[in-house]
Amino acid sequence: MIVAEQKPFGQVKEFVEGYRKIMVAGCGACVTVCLVGGEAEVKVLASGLRIAHLQEGKATEVLEACVTRQCEPEFNDPLVERIREEGVEAVISLACGVGVNLLAEALEDVPVFPGVNTTFFGGVKEAGTWLELCAGCGECILHLTGGICPVARCAKSIMNGPCGGTNDGKCELGGETACAWALIIERMSRLGTLGQLETVQPARDWSTGHYGGPRRMTVEAVQAVAKEE
Amino acid sequence: MKSGSNLERVLAAGEFAVTAELGPPMDCNGDVVLEKARLLKSCADAYNITDNQTAVVRMSSIASAVLIMQEGLEPVMQMTCRDRNRIAIQADILGAAALGIRNCLCIAGDHQSFSAAGRLKGHPGAKNVYDVDSIQLVAILKGLRDDGLQQGGDPIECRPPLFVGAAWTPMGDPLEFRPIRLGKKVAAGADFIQTQGVYDIDLFRMQMAKIVKMGLHERTAVLAGIIVPKSGAMLKYMDSSVAGVTVPAALIERMNRAKDEAGDDKTQARINQEEEGVRITVELIEQVREIEGVRGVHLQAIEWEKRVPEIVERAGLLPRPVVSEEAGSS
Amino acid sequence: MRVANECLTAPCSAACPVQTDTRGYADAVARGDYERALELLLEANPFSSVCGRICDHPCEQACRRSKIDAPVGLRALKRFVVEHTGEHRRARRARQPVLYPERVAIVGAGPAGLTAAHDLARAGYAVTVFERGDAPGGMLGATIPRYRLPYEVVREDIDDILALGVELRTGVEIGRDVTLDDLRREGFSAILLATGLSESHSLTIPGIGSEGVLLAVPFLEAARLGTTTPVGDRVVVIGGGNVAFDVARTARRLGASEVTCACLESREEMPAHEWEITEALEEGIQVMPSWGPRAIVAEEGRVRGIELKKCLRVFDEEGRFAPTFDEGHIATLLADSVILAVGQRADLACIEGSSVQIERPGRLRYSERTMATSEPGVFACGEVATGPGSAVRAVADGHRAARAVAHYLETGELLEQAPVTHPTLGELPDAVAEKVRRVAPVALRHAPAEARVTDFGDFEAGYSEAEALREARRCLACAAGAFADDDRCAGCLTCVRVCPYGVATVDKTAAMPEEMCQACGLCAAECPAAAIALQRFGTYRMREELSALLAQIPESELPRPLVVSYCCLFEVTSRSFVRAHPADLAETGIARVMVPCVARLSVPDILAPYELGADAVVIISCADGECMYPTAEQRLAGRVRRAKALLDEIGLGAERLDHWKTHESAEVSWTAFWEISKRKLAQTAVKETVG
Repeated sequence: MIVAEQKPFGQVKEFVEGYRKIMVAGCGACVTVCLVGGEAEVKVLASGLRIAHLQEGKATEVLEACVTRQCEPEFNDPLVERIREEGVEAVISLACGVGVNLLAEALEDVPVFPGVNTTFFGGVKEAGTWLELCAGCGECILHLTGGICPVARCAKSIMNGPCGGTNDGKCELGGETACAWALIIERMSRLGTLGQLETVQPARDWSTGHYGGPRRMTVEAVQAVAKEE
Repeated sequence: MKSGSNLERVLAAGEFAVTAELGPPMDCNGDVVLEKARLLKSCADAYNITDNQTAVVRMSSIASAVLIMQEGLEPVMQMTCRDRNRIAIQADILGAAALGIRNCLCIAGDHQSFSAAGRLKGHPGAKNVYDVDSIQLVAILKGLRDDGLQQGGDPIECRPPLFVGAAWTPMGDPLEFRPIRLGKKVAAGADFIQTQGVYDIDLFRMQMAKIVKMGLHERTAVLAGIIVPKSGAMLKYMDSSVAGVTVPAALIERMNRAKDEAGDDKTQARINQEEEGVRITVELIEQVREIEGVRGVHLQAIEWEKRVPEIVERAGLLPRPVVSEEAGSS
Repeated sequence: MRVANECLTAPCSAACPVQTDTRGYADAVARGDYERALELLLEANPFSSVCGRICDHPCEQACRRSKIDAPVGLRALKRFVVEHTGEHRRARRARQPVLYPERVAIVGAGPAGLTAAHDLARAGYAVTVFERGDAPGGMLGATIPRYRLPYEVVREDIDDILALGVELRTGVEIGRDVTLDDLRREGFSAILLATGLSESHSLTIPGIGSEGVLLAVPFLEAARLGTTTPVGDRVVVIGGGNVAFDVARTARRLGASEVTCACLESREEMPAHEWEITEALEEGIQVMPSWGPRAIVAEEGRVRGIELKKCLRVFDEEGRFAPTFDEGHIATLLADSVILAVGQRADLACIEGSSVQIERPGRLRYSERTMATSEPGVFACGEVATGPGSAVRAVADGHRAARAVAHYLETGELLEQAPVTHPTLGELPDAVAEKVRRVAPVALRHAPAEARVTDFGDFEAGYSEAEALREARRCLACAAGAFADDDRCAGCLTCVRVCPYGVATVDKTAAMPEEMCQACGLCAAECPAAAIALQRFGTYRMREELSALLAQIPESELPRPLVVSYCCLFEVTSRSFVRAHPADLAETGIARVMVPCVARLSVPDILAPYELGADAVVIISCADGECMYPTAEQRLAGRVRRAKALLDEIGLGAERLDHWKTHESAEVSWTAFWEISKRKLAQTAVKETVG
């Protein structure tokens, strides 16, 4: 899932300074699950804006909305319709950056501002804590590392770890971060596949990742039908 | 001879090698480098020039290396993977070789978050690179030198004659994997190894026994790293906070005793501890020398280079041997 | 809001013969709305005052709280409600207009007959109730001892019914003074027989005709009227049912010093309610289970004692009544009186001179499903039809009979009423029960046994207001918990992670099974999709309540500073603190909003008052460690931190939000908390002016 965190309230408030009709638009997918952009947070942010505007004596209207997934244009369509009909002047999207992009694309003349900082692809460690577990590098090497990703989980993304900085199973950066390579070695020892790590992994091809430029993924069969239509 | 460097020749001649570390300044004052070079001259076979150590911006290792060469010292240019992608690394390596640099130590490099420490702001917000890791970097240098190929596969006509080094943290965690990882570095092409600082001789001996059993000591030259201790506090810090370094309690006590002997006299306490630190260093050198597979020492007197000549002297490692190119190749 | 599984009844309501909305009135009491509680009670049961005293409360036996500590004192709560709403109750009485020409005659003014009269009158029929005695009430009025049920209590219920316009004719004995056919001639289109079981059974043992051998019903009737002859010091009561204990305890109060109850059944088999036996034992009454009467020992025709024989078993393998005795095992008790409480039968004199048929002596020919007798238009209900039962069952039967009669009058047809079972929850699973906080029930106060046997005074004290509020909170609100809106649920597992009872599950979307959910509301408050609501304790009403409260005062006249205080409803000991009056608000500047557990407040709930113009919000929780729900206090503290941080970012300042824990009680500490917050606001204002 995509993990995001909230932007400071002050920054978001500044985005919409001067607009009189504002909509806070949440997303019912990843950002709901990571507790920063669902219906409940829409209410919190909208309430915060209303209180702030009341304090400043500004006559603004803050609308609330939440769609199933902002990363799908079809889900956004009714929202876009409503924004146009109600004459919304600015939208704060609590979706990940994907949602903000798509909503902005659909709303040609209404500004869309991000309400969250999209942070990483991750999963829950424990209630309230998410860990980055995948870097979306475009060429998965988890078969080589016991299912634990050094690209995402090692601070140096090294392929032949661990570096000299690992300390009691923790990354040299300190804190709670586990050393990915300590985990890999532990797991592969258990699996009896530690011997595989004796092979030197050559410098990898990063072009499959973002370094190769913005990516596009196609499922040809579906795409072909869509084009015919 | 792979590079014909002095370090390679000394090792090839079967001599016990000595390298020492020289840290470049945070500005462009070359005199500082030259001054340190003069201090250290003749007490080691080659001198490591650190590459933005702890991610603090310093004069580049390539430039500093050229500066000390002017003083007649032989550099071991350190190259980290943190700041350059494979394009920049190879370009710099080729340039270094053209400027006469013959030794290169390949390391991952400390994470940029370490640059903000103490009074320093550093550049913790920098974007790191880590395009290749240290083992891949070793392989790239070997490829340029032995195969005449850039990493991407393009051939080069003039190959850089380099003596390729790598670092090793023998007491790093997980302990049982460290010899395997050294094996990977050797397989990738590491001609020599400089280790993380050794204080726990027993543990180091155990790890060395493993790599001797693996035969790695015959395929690479291991130089035991010795970090010169200045105080009890420093030893304690390294024990608790520096990854891969464990300091036996007895050593810390020795330092503390030296400090206590000075009573309230702070200056004397410092002098006592520094003296004890030098003594400990000399003892450590003598001890690692006895361990099978150890082919030399790598001295790190961090911002305290001036005591190195005395240490080397007291360890009985002076004068440094002069090995001719012919003798070295025999 | 969609309400999940509305058809599921709480076990207490399902067990109640009249399906009283038990959770409803417990909740209304907890909210201080005793009038609403009374409405709920009377809706189900016109004999609520009576049942508040003597109901055998199957609701409590079914209460799922038994698995945790002890059932909720529902009977006592009912008593509390009726005792605290007298004025309201009298004021709501109104004559019911007659809508139909058909008149109904009801024979017998006991709970069954009067309940039917009540329902039929409310439906628009003219009803006349015939009672052979001087006063209505049946057994409630005539035989149940006053120490358990004062007549004023019975009268309170009956007055409600009579106020509807039901005509009561006392001192008229149907079958003797007037026949059923006479009633027909008088114009009654339907007749309902509800004459109860008014005759005591006797025994056929030697000496039974001796002076001093009495029957339970006449004895109890005389005791209520104060016309008993002296019973002497030593009294033996034969029987082990509730009536036997009424008799024994009455005899004790009439001055007998040695009272013994002897019965065939073993101690475990005794049909009397366990509490009746316990209370009798407290009063010094001896119980001799497994003994049957053999002969009355008499001298000169007057009782001197009784011979008992050991009873080996009462029922045969098929469970039929077939006592066997050890004839060689005899006990003789001295007695001045022997009172027989070995069951009752119907007096069917009412059908004399009519063509209503009997099944066998003392038993009407009657259909359980249609409640009809053999004679068209003549119906029967209550104990005369069903056999012995509790007061609340008689009420239930009265409701049924009213439906049967009304249907007959409307259609000329008989109404088939099959037995109904109400779907309810299973037992509370152990895994959940062990996580629920134990809360001791509020004990009922009884007069000391030695004092209460000296007269017929009320021996049980009803709950005080504080006690009732405390006890009402113990209700688990079964089947009124959380439910998720599948359309909104993101399946994020937050509910699963916060549920302190391990109840919530997610299989694509969230589910909180009714038989486990404790309605704590933590999942609803934390749900990031705002997809969870509570069937009963939702906080969504608060914003409206608050807006309504503030709307009562013109904005310019709103007191400043205006503080909204969310208060834990569970901490009040009187309803004066529960109900906010606009006058209070105008005077104090404190708008009180009661929340049944403030831990249910979400962050938007906490922020809402500022949007409505409040200067500050004060949240007052239970006393430290007193919250019913595990982890709820920490969860709320987390939400308060979040809201404070946001208030800081907004620039209002975190000090505009205070979170207190009740000290001792609401009355003791809340006013002080409000003062502190107000003073703080005043200081901030000064600072701002100076700055």
